[in-house]
Amino acid sequence: MKKRFVFLLAAAVFVSANVMSQDLALKGGTVLTITQGVIPNGTVLIQNGKIAAFGEDITIPPGVRVIDCKGKFIMPGIIDSHTHIALSSGDINEMTDPVTPQVWMKEALYPEDHKILTTLAGGVTTVKTMHGSANVIGGVNVTIKLKTNVLPEEMIVKGVRQQLKLALGENPKRFYGQEKGKMPFTRMGTAYVMRQAFIQAQEYKAQWDEYEKKKKAGEKDLKPPTKDLKMETLKMALEKKLTVDCHTYRADEIVWLINFCKEFGLDLMQLSHCVDGYKVADIMAEAGVSFGGWVDWWGFKEEAYDGCPYGFKIMYDAGVNIVINSDSADEGRYLFRNAAKVLKYNDIPEEEVLKMITLNPARSLELENRIGSIEVGKDGDIAVFEKHPLDSTTKCLMTIIEGKIYFDYAKHSVQREGGSYE
Amino acid sequence: MQNTAFREKEGAMNKRVHLIFAMILVFVLANVALSQESILIRNGRIVPVVGEVIPNGSLLIQSGKIARIGTDIETPPETIVIDAGGKSVYPGLVAVMTAIGVTGYPGSGNDVNELGVITPQIDPFDAINPEDSTIEVTRIDGVTTVMTTSGSMNIINGKAVVLNLYGNIAEEMVIKRDMAQIFNMGAKGQVTFGPKRPGNYPTTLPGITALIRDQLNQALLYAEKIEVREREEDKSERKAEYAPFKRDLALEALVPVVNGRMPAVFITSNEVTIRNALQIIKEYQLKGILYASADILKFADELAAKKIPVIWAGTTTIPEKWQPYDINYHTAAVLSEKGVLFCFDILGFGVNSHRVRNIPVPASISVAHGLSEDDAVRALTINPAKILGVDNLVGSLEVGKLANVVLWDHTPIQLSSRVLKVIINGNVVPMTSVQTRLRDKFEKIVNERMNKK
Repeated sequence: MKKRFVFLLAAAVFVSANVMSQDLALKGGTVLTITQGVIPNGTVLIQNGKIAAFGEDITIPPGVRVIDCKGKFIMPGIIDSHTHIALSSGDINEMTDPVTPQVWMKEALYPEDHKILTTLAGGVTTVKTMHGSANVIGGVNVTIKLKTNVLPEEMIVKGVRQQLKLALGENPKRFYGQEKGKMPFTRMGTAYVMRQAFIQAQEYKAQWDEYEKKKKAGEKDLKPPTKDLKMETLKMALEKKLTVDCHTYRADEIVWLINFCKEFGLDLMQLSHCVDGYKVADIMAEAGVSFGGWVDWWGFKEEAYDGCPYGFKIMYDAGVNIVINSDSADEGRYLFRNAAKVLKYNDIPEEEVLKMITLNPARSLELENRIGSIEVGKDGDIAVFEKHPLDSTTKCLMTIIEGKIYFDYAKHSVQREGGSYE
Repeated sequence: MQNTAFREKEGAMNKRVHLIFAMILVFVLANVALSQESILIRNGRIVPVVGEVIPNGSLLIQSGKIARIGTDIETPPETIVIDAGGKSVYPGLVAVMTAIGVTGYPGSGNDVNELGVITPQIDPFDAINPEDSTIEVTRIDGVTTVMTTSGSMNIINGKAVVLNLYGNIAEEMVIKRDMAQIFNMGAKGQVTFGPKRPGNYPTTLPGITALIRDQLNQALLYAEKIEVREREEDKSERKAEYAPFKRDLALEALVPVVNGRMPAVFITSNEVTIRNALQIIKEYQLKGILYASADILKFADELAAKKIPVIWAGTTTIPEKWQPYDINYHTAAVLSEKGVLFCFDILGFGVNSHRVRNIPVPASISVAHGLSEDDAVRALTINPAKILGVDNLVGSLEVGKLANVVLWDHTPIQLSSRVLKVIINGNVVPMTSVQTRLRDKFEKIVNERMNKK
């Protein structure tokens, strides 16, 4: 019996090792490492799902599958820290109450969403897929790898703090004040709703801390306080077990939110959209919060009117961690083209612009030690491009996550052998 | 600002053209804001779009028009000389289906999508605001001509106007009025979105098609009434029957459509709506233009044979789950190969007009997926000019055309390329917009705050 168990265990390990990773060598391409320069004729070796080696003279061990990348560009997988793909439709905005921290987006993960493949085909390997912006306090976002044909649980990036979604400005005003005749109707109302919720969470946390303290001290006949799932999530944010991503447009809101997070001890990682971010670039840099937005969207509503693609240089000079997000299933497919637009409007070096879709979003997700650049020990998440990713006529040819090929142009394109466009 | 050449052309126009129609044209073209200055661009890589690239050429602009193109042009007296420094000179880009000029002021609403199901009488010209902030933002990124529509949410939406993005009053911007009538073959949205009127007819695609047929039938009858009424020698009973005549501006707007004078743009979203549009074009012998965002390749051969042009807005549309991921990326290459006249658009009307400057995006994606760069540039310049019927005025660098000239540091297909200089109707345009002003203001403010610390 015992013997049989050991055999099964060994078989399971063997099988899972095979499914989960594949040893690959991407040979002879231009390697854009992001952190360690460009290697013109380089090879990247991935073993057990991790980058094992990279450089000009890499010995490829026997049994490793070699992919010829001559003339191609090899870069770390692109990261989009604001999207809504891979969620079942209709499950993005819990629009029933302005405060819904109890909802977790991981419970809406939908691996059958075909936008996972269309996004992968743009070289994207990791995304933070988010609650919508109707609520002042929305749900908890989930950071995932774009693995296809796996269970939702296997997509989720583990061992990192997930981020709670907050939202300011016109959206909560519209969804509640204007459409439901309910607070918030104004920005002052939004400020109150957010403050009230976190003050309540502080009180809740104090009750539970007191209870835990007494329990630890061995007090008998203790009655635990009531569990409240809304408060549980906010308590996690107060305890820094969750971080915060806030939907903002206007500069005054950005400053307000930075101060609010300081007041409540919240770890603010990213300001999403952040259309006015350039106006308060120095304040954002000092607060250590990432800009997470579009390059050139503007004017589609009143609070977006001051969007300015030239603002990237102001933020860059001030030292803001700039992250290019899509917030669009369409544009999420070509973040590298959006990155090229940064060069159109700003004098920022190319290698710094490439960071805005790789290492910088990894930072905003606190994953900079695991993804976002080609470094030994990092996840084997790679995108292979036909031409340089900042050449707008390039396309992605292969996307690899943890050593496994999830997108292959030769297999997925309409132009594959036998493919038809009619 | 007078332009006699255009008047001569109008004089030669078909006499049957409605008098009012002709008067509008005279009025429009007489007012185009042409510069009287003489400008010579030299030392440029001239890309005329039609014809060969001139690697080190010059382009002379006089009276707002292109006067000469070549390698050896002498500088006439009192000419502004622009040294292109070897950079590329292209015709201004032409964008279709925009709302530029009618986007309104922030917070005060726009002038797109009038309420109603059938609103062919709506003319965006009546709302063109030369101070619209999208004008500056769009033109300094190289788009010099746009077609502005009245909207897309209704089944029959209204007219379109073609503007050059320069001028202090609307009349100075217009290069063509009554360019087209806009039909939406899938506009069930006006029932389900916007002011909700559940139960309103029509809620199905066959319902929409039937309603369009009904309107076109009425317009044909209306056109007949006008014709009989105006036939002075006619003493028939029919004349007496049509005598008590009440004008109907909606039907009046459809008369040039059923007469085949004014193009009809059919907005489609899938195979069914494309087929319905083609059926109506055939039945009523319309001058049809298809606006498509999916499934167009199935009809490519038919469109090429019937010479029906396509506004292809699907490059940035995500395909259906059952389609290959890149079918829409690849579509422009196939349209080009099959000889369909097409131009690009990005999906999104109305407020999305703030993103018209992004028109090179679908072009760049299409080049990545098989379209030649030359064809991509044509699909941003001469092709849309042809589709809008303004290729006699804009869309290429040719002697006699309006001087809409843009100096790029690289090709417009590269999204990193910068626009260095923009000339519209011979006027050198200031490279400023609400966004450059915000940049200048906040660069200073942020720097001052940082220096204080």
